[in-house]
Amino acid sequence: MSTESNRSPFARLRSRVFARSGALLAAETALVYLFLYVPIVVLIALSFNDSRYALVWQGFTTEWYEALLAGETVARVNPDAAWSALVHSVEIALVTVVVSVVFGTMLAFALDRYEFPGKALFTGVVYMPIIIPSIVMGISLLLFFNIVGMTLGLHTAAIGHIAFDISFVAIVVLARLQSFDRTLEEAAKDLGANELETFRHVTLPLLKPGIMAGALLAFAMSFDDFVVTFFIIGNQNTLPIFFFSMVRQGITPGVNVVAALIIVVTMGIVAVAQWFEGPIW
Amino acid sequence: MASEHNTRERGEPRSALLGRIRRNRWTGLLVNVTPSAVWLFLFFLVPLAVMFYYSFGQRGAFGEVLVAPEYLGLQQYRLFFVPDDASVFEAIWFTVAWVVEAVLPFGIELAAGEPTPYVQLTLKSIGFGLVATLVAFVVGYPVAYYVGRVAPEEYQDLLLVLIILPFWASFLVRIYAIQILLSGNSVLTNALGFLPWFQAGQSLMNSRFAVLVGLVYIWIPFMILPVYASIEEIDFTLREAAMDLGATRFQAFRRVVFPLSMPGVVAGSLLVFIPSTGAYVIPDLLGGTDSQMIGNFIANQFGAAGNWPLGAAGSFTLMGIMLLAIAIYQRYGSADLA
Repeated sequence: MSTESNRSPFARLRSRVFARSGALLAAETALVYLFLYVPIVVLIALSFNDSRYALVWQGFTTEWYEALLAGETVARVNPDAAWSALVHSVEIALVTVVVSVVFGTMLAFALDRYEFPGKALFTGVVYMPIIIPSIVMGISLLLFFNIVGMTLGLHTAAIGHIAFDISFVAIVVLARLQSFDRTLEEAAKDLGANELETFRHVTLPLLKPGIMAGALLAFAMSFDDFVVTFFIIGNQNTLPIFFFSMVRQGITPGVNVVAALIIVVTMGIVAVAQWFEGPIW
Repeated sequence: MASEHNTRERGEPRSALLGRIRRNRWTGLLVNVTPSAVWLFLFFLVPLAVMFYYSFGQRGAFGEVLVAPEYLGLQQYRLFFVPDDASVFEAIWFTVAWVVEAVLPFGIELAAGEPTPYVQLTLKSIGFGLVATLVAFVVGYPVAYYVGRVAPEEYQDLLLVLIILPFWASFLVRIYAIQILLSGNSVLTNALGFLPWFQAGQSLMNSRFAVLVGLVYIWIPFMILPVYASIEEIDFTLREAAMDLGATRFQAFRRVVFPLSMPGVVAGSLLVFIPSTGAYVIPDLLGGTDSQMIGNFIANQFGAAGNWPLGAAGSFTLMGIMLLAIAIYQRYGSADLA
């Protein structure tokens, strides 16, 4: 340790930190997990809070849930409006998932199996909807629908969602395709399978996890999208838009209950999906 | 595919033509690419082009949008970037000087004027993006290192899932959760009362701090995941070798491990910087009047302020920042996005 004494105090501190790196890293990691989960836990806890306004704990009650699920309006949250917004969200998400999974998977095949002039540029365009800020995408679609004279509504929202979800699906499926052993397909054909049979019994089963992950991602992206939808849905509501307008009015037990329900349901669905598929993304 | 196959087996004359079409090497490509290409062209590229066109338009005296050819010009960009009665050169100098003045701690005056409020807002948004990225890096890198390297093998998948899980939970609900924690009299603000300069129960909302917390909270998984992917791939015998050759732990990390994890760091920084700079909802819900960002400005121009051409010019300025960031990424990074 004699060499350490002629180093600067900072260097000595540094080497001591690095010597205990395992414990420090574990502590820091634990703090980050706390940071990620404490807000969610507090939110869910406050939805059971027996107080109309306060943000501090006043006792346990399920009163707000009971009232909302019984169809009573709780502190500015109208259950009918919430329900119809939820139905709209699901409708848009289902249409979006079907179209973007089919189109996106085909696109992934094209990008994986063909070389064509302008492929790099085309791939760039495919990545762009993921990268550009959603506000730019939402507003440009608003201008476009305005110019071609399309009435805004659920259908325009679905069109916009498909435009960004195609890219997400294509990239997830493409990742799967690139680690795909093509000799399996050749083997199937050598053994007498025609193209359709090969696709049905070899290619598709191997791609399924990728396609499932893509579909789930597309559903989550569409279901959760606020910014793009906000500009192109006209005077219709989806759950995020309905929720946004509630949040802007302030924190109330009703909003807490809706928020807790949304978060428990979405995290539950994803947890189940990850149980089957392993980590997605 | 089914019908093509059947027609060939039935041996009708048509099948020869179909077979030829099907065997053509472009057919498969065209069939697979066309639906997505048409969709992306119509509902992504054309709208962007429309917006680009609008950014050269003007606003009429009664708030109407003038985009006929005779009105087109760079006036919105000039309004955006160049202060009244300043030259382009002066505008650039004012901008540079403004940034230097903001970064340097002492109150010096370098330039005779200031950049336009729009440029100030844009720079402020970039500042938010950079600080959020830096915080996400400083906080997220050790987590990625721990999960990828230190944590026991059998827990790695679980730890990863726990990082991804919040990303799948509703974005708006999580912002709302942050809002709850930062509000006056919340669990957190009351608990922070022991801090000497902090009065218990004081609201932290509607501030730059709140916006930054929101940005980091939402985007930190995007930093951790690519860094984790990079660290996972590193051959740690290289680190042992460095230490055998006399490097201290710190040197081995700085000279060997960290450079090898750079692709993940660059990818993660891009994935945090781009959405943070273009944020709209987070500053809207968590920020006050001094912490609105360029996304809010754009939305406002298309809403209450009703100046569509100026909003379009703002959008393309934001797009320019994104493209610049991606160009830097392609120059220095090599990991795949996402």
